[in-house]
Amino acid sequence: MLTHDPRPVPSRSRATRREFLKRAGWTTAALTPLLAGSSRRRAFAQTASPYPDWMPPSPNPPKRGKLLTRASAWDPPVLDPRLTNSVGLSQFAALTSNRLVRYPYSDEAANTTDLTLKGDLAESWQGSPDFRVWTFKLRKGVKWHNVAPLNGRELVAADIKYCYEQYAKEGVQSFTFQEIEGIETPDKYTVRIHLKTPNIMFPQNLAEPVSIIFAREVLEEDGDLKKRLIGTGPYMIKENTRKVRVVLVRNPDYFDRGRPYIDEYHILSTPDAATRLAAFRSGQSDIHFVASLSDAANLKKTTPAAVIQEYKTVQTVFGLALAQDKPPFNDVRVRRAISMAIDRQRQVDTIYGGHGILGWGIPYFYFQDKMPTAAQLGPYWQYKPAEAKKLLTEAGHPNGFETTLFYYEYFPEMSSQVQVVQQDLKKNLNIEIKISKLDYTTFYGRYADGKWDGMSWGFKTGYATGLDEQTYQYMHSKSTKNYWRFADPVIDELVTKLRRTPDRAEQRALTKKVFEREHDQVTRMWMPYDSGFLVWQPFLRNTGSLALRRNDGYGASTLARLWVDK
Amino acid sequence: MYKYVARRLAMSVPVVILSSLIVFGLMRVMPGDALTALMGESGNVSPKELEKLRRDLGLDLPYYKQYLIWAWQMLSLNPGDSIFTNEPISVALRKSIPVTVELAVLAMILGLVIAVPIGVISATRQDKASDYAGRVAAITGLSLPDFWLGTLVITFAAIWFRWIPPLGYASLWTDPWTNLQQFLLPAAVLGFRLSAATMRMTRSTLLEVLREDYVRTAWAKGLGERIIIYKHALKNALIPVITLVGGQFGTLLAGTVIVETIFALPGMGRLTVEAILFRDYPIVQTNVMLVAVTLVTLNLLVDLTYAWLDPRIRYQ
Repeated sequence: MLTHDPRPVPSRSRATRREFLKRAGWTTAALTPLLAGSSRRRAFAQTASPYPDWMPPSPNPPKRGKLLTRASAWDPPVLDPRLTNSVGLSQFAALTSNRLVRYPYSDEAANTTDLTLKGDLAESWQGSPDFRVWTFKLRKGVKWHNVAPLNGRELVAADIKYCYEQYAKEGVQSFTFQEIEGIETPDKYTVRIHLKTPNIMFPQNLAEPVSIIFAREVLEEDGDLKKRLIGTGPYMIKENTRKVRVVLVRNPDYFDRGRPYIDEYHILSTPDAATRLAAFRSGQSDIHFVASLSDAANLKKTTPAAVIQEYKTVQTVFGLALAQDKPPFNDVRVRRAISMAIDRQRQVDTIYGGHGILGWGIPYFYFQDKMPTAAQLGPYWQYKPAEAKKLLTEAGHPNGFETTLFYYEYFPEMSSQVQVVQQDLKKNLNIEIKISKLDYTTFYGRYADGKWDGMSWGFKTGYATGLDEQTYQYMHSKSTKNYWRFADPVIDELVTKLRRTPDRAEQRALTKKVFEREHDQVTRMWMPYDSGFLVWQPFLRNTGSLALRRNDGYGASTLARLWVDK
Repeated sequence: MYKYVARRLAMSVPVVILSSLIVFGLMRVMPGDALTALMGESGNVSPKELEKLRRDLGLDLPYYKQYLIWAWQMLSLNPGDSIFTNEPISVALRKSIPVTVELAVLAMILGLVIAVPIGVISATRQDKASDYAGRVAAITGLSLPDFWLGTLVITFAAIWFRWIPPLGYASLWTDPWTNLQQFLLPAAVLGFRLSAATMRMTRSTLLEVLREDYVRTAWAKGLGERIIIYKHALKNALIPVITLVGGQFGTLLAGTVIVETIFALPGMGRLTVEAILFRDYPIVQTNVMLVAVTLVTLNLLVDLTYAWLDPRIRYQ
């Protein structure tokens, strides 16, 4: 969770039974005033965290060598990036393999939300004036890992062409790569990509952690990439023993000379949260993640030297998804009424211990500098039960109605949130919700099928970083990632226009409009969320995790710049 | 005896077939399939592509055909490949069975080493302080669930000693020292719980036997306590204990998933649970069949052991 998790999960680990039991106690205690009808109210604000959300790079010269270990909740389901986008694979795939372009590493970024594209396999890139043709100039002398069948041969433009064509052909990335009309390779080091429609943000899609370049020879020899992942990245896979460990060793022929710094990186399969914590405390694991402020404080008590970074919450990944293409949820008044009947601040206060955001779907830095205030979320995101009731009556449901909600518990707080929403809607609108808690595969199968009725606890993919992924790919009515069942011509027009708008300021303005439209139409009913905290052994340098790129997960590529100071 | 064994083996055939039908049916009734799990949250897979992948994996065949194919694979001792990883199931089993068997055997040994002596002491010192202490320990063992005890052990080991068993798995044959460190704590956790029931059974059966006429006769003959208890009484008292231990061993083989998860051991439990979550039908079916066959065999072995322990028992 589920996750394992050998299983694919958004940015949090799948909850284990032990995690559930541990948190259930806290949650029960937290819910007590709520259930007792407490009227405590306060304006939207996060409890300040004593931990920084930005870790500056070390000013000292890096040291080479040593071993990095991490007890991981996730196992890679398979090694084939065409078949899975799971965090189990992504926690190391971007270390073994490169992309054409990438986002900054922690020692290059200006701040935690810096998403300036950098060249990875490409040295430079340029779009045509109509943004339909993108030309990438490759680095010369990039070598595949020196293992059979590649044996360290040079990477050339034809490799990129082959890889992208395979992505388009089948698998989880086909939507992104089917946007490509054709690929030319005028010479060994030039890739020219023709798109079917203009897209200024296309390079961002190539920078997503899942868009790695894999080896043609392996696919041709094995028929798939389930067992071997050979790339051009800073590390090579030495061992991948399922449910035991993944061992990465330094690639001596890596094109970025002198890097990476660490000789070996061991990812130890550790499904139980308490064991991962114990592994960190005992020094068997160098990197750890805790979900809440109180967990971070507890860890600090027993391991005072631990370095803790607040993993900046810039968006919500989960929320109430409605079958908005069917009655009664196709009526915007019903959606607005439901949204206004939910007390989000109370969820932040009681379930997240005051440390969390009210909830919005697009990372805020894409449209403004500061985190949105409660007022900025719009009138339908304020807790106004009386107005909600009035609106629902106008929509023809004065006595409420019955509906269903199915979900998978990605983390224990989610179950509390589902129950609080159920109580809010019963109390304020007389909407009776029958909840079904499902296992991951059942949940995902039903959710992705897109034919369900009633409500679900929806999600966004954990790896999504770029604006195109966050807008067009999730929100356009024709996108296969349109889980939330958008069918809004205004949104379609805005997100399409966004793909044709090169000016940064205009992009921000358009994104703001998308944000406002979404909140006005209540198409995705985002719920409070807290991204959690990353914990490091004190001898690690260049550890900073960047927003949307947790470096124990989808942001793993930045570990290529990490070094051990001991 | 051979007739008896043959009859018992013949009787186990319908049990195994019924188990196979149940597990096959249950897996198909569960919503979602391996492809759904594999694709995960990505979602941008068209129904056409999913259909193609299902066809490639044989998931589109009628259920009876899928069952017959699998049954033939099982009979030919080639359970096929995991549909999730493409790894041959025999390879996955070769990796996970030794882990679970080692854990179960070690837990069993530790459990018996703790349980039988304490049970004997409790019975021979009935209502004395040592008896009360043993009974309290047994009740504690029965009351503490594995997951709680395992978590407690690993958490406090980390806080107090800054040590936990090395994560991962080292084979007993290649690195016995690391292997011992990895298995001792989980085996102790499992063994403590097992020992509780065994200790109580040993105590109560031994108390019963100690009141038998032949034991009184032995006392009257002036035999030493040690000889009476260990040679005459304990052997008979152990018959129900062996039944219990046989059942416990079967349960251990099938039910170590929680301890394997806490101590990050790659055994059968984790393999099966993961396969269930991912709807990896061939692995689940093979593992369940393996457990069913093991339990049937263990029960048979337990029954056969009775005769060795008690010559009055005859096979008919």
